[in-house]
Amino acid sequence: MTARIPVGVLTGFLGAGKTTLLRRILRDPAWADSAVIINEYGEVPLDHELVAAGDETFLSLATGCLCCVMRSDLTETLLGLHRRRAAGEIPPYARVLIETSGLADPAPILHALMLEDVVTATHALHAVATLVDAQHGMAALDRHPEAQRQVLLADRLLLTKPDLAPDTAALEARLHALNPAAPMRAAIQGAVPPGWVFAAGQHAADPAALAAWLEQAGSAARHSDRIATMVIERAAPIPAMALTLWMQALAEHAGPKLLRLKGLVALAETGTDRPAAIHAIQHVVHPLEWLEAWPSADRRSRIVLIGQGIPRHWPARLLAALEAEVVEESERLSAPR
Amino acid sequence: MTPPELRNLLADSLAVWGVAGRITVSGAGVVVAAAGHELRILPAERPLRWWLERPGQRRPYPGTVGLLRGLRNALGAGDGQPVRLRVSPAAGA
Repeated sequence: MTARIPVGVLTGFLGAGKTTLLRRILRDPAWADSAVIINEYGEVPLDHELVAAGDETFLSLATGCLCCVMRSDLTETLLGLHRRRAAGEIPPYARVLIETSGLADPAPILHALMLEDVVTATHALHAVATLVDAQHGMAALDRHPEAQRQVLLADRLLLTKPDLAPDTAALEARLHALNPAAPMRAAIQGAVPPGWVFAAGQHAADPAALAAWLEQAGSAARHSDRIATMVIERAAPIPAMALTLWMQALAEHAGPKLLRLKGLVALAETGTDRPAAIHAIQHVVHPLEWLEAWPSADRRSRIVLIGQGIPRHWPARLLAALEAEVVEESERLSAPR
Repeated sequence: MTPPELRNLLADSLAVWGVAGRITVSGAGVVVAAAGHELRILPAERPLRWWLERPGQRRPYPGTVGLLRGLRNALGAGDGQPVRLRVSPAAGA
């Protein structure tokens, strides 16, 4: 029998740092031969473009959340990759890494990986790694049952951004209470050996018991109706000042309701040669990160916000107002007097 | 920003702050009726951008971000969490 392809699942609530860790893992030469599947809960796929570009073993599932509608899509995606690998159409990847949506209950995903015969014949689930944001993890556990399930199902728990949280004792105690079996460690910017994150054979110690649990939990999986995804696209570059004011206003007025913001942005001052990546979690806005190149020929700015209780058009209306204001002010100041 | 655009932005902002209220277009500006207050917002000559008027007080704002903060404070809808950001237009800076 041909060796089955190891599968690792990377989960964690919105903003926990999954994409950062994935990028770091893929930079490790020993892990560069990984096929990656990213599931995103948004109208426009974005996470995968923050990780890499132009790799045919890099797939994005962007039509919804795996836990709700896409279990069969995951199966088809895995098998499709496997067929293309066998036919020599894509590089012979050594493993598959799946990054779940931050809003996903991983149970149905694991269900597919463990119980779908067509999948288990060729793939073996090795480990589920759950990332927990040291700064916002406690609040996520309080407010989102999905976050608790991600911890409950982990083989490895990775506490991220410990440099932003001076005291993680209470969070660590809670994580341990939820999942005492999972080894836990902390890492800044994904600095952790990939071999620890996806240690082989960590999962499925008792497949039957877990499968039963997955079946029960999976049947109740859904997103909260109050969580909405908003997408803003711009063909024209955005003035840096407008972007700055906008992100400040979002953080100031909607901080606790802003679960996640990610974007690839062309700034008016630099043109469209290099995009900037923007990230925010609640009221915490991360420093702008410049990427070497656009991930595709599409050079429009794209920003995705996931919010809870934020009016759907408010972010776009606010950005449009600030863009117009900044452009008008610039023209006024440069006009001959 | 046209008065209807300002109305829509502020109506959404009230929702973000959790304030029930009504905003109507009035001439070149809007009237905000919320939290027991009636406030009038009017465009201002440059370099100012907005006037926020309430009985006995008229306050100028040079931009929409400031107007939002001023309106929120005037309605007693919390202070938010002001942050200062720097978006550098220089790649790698």
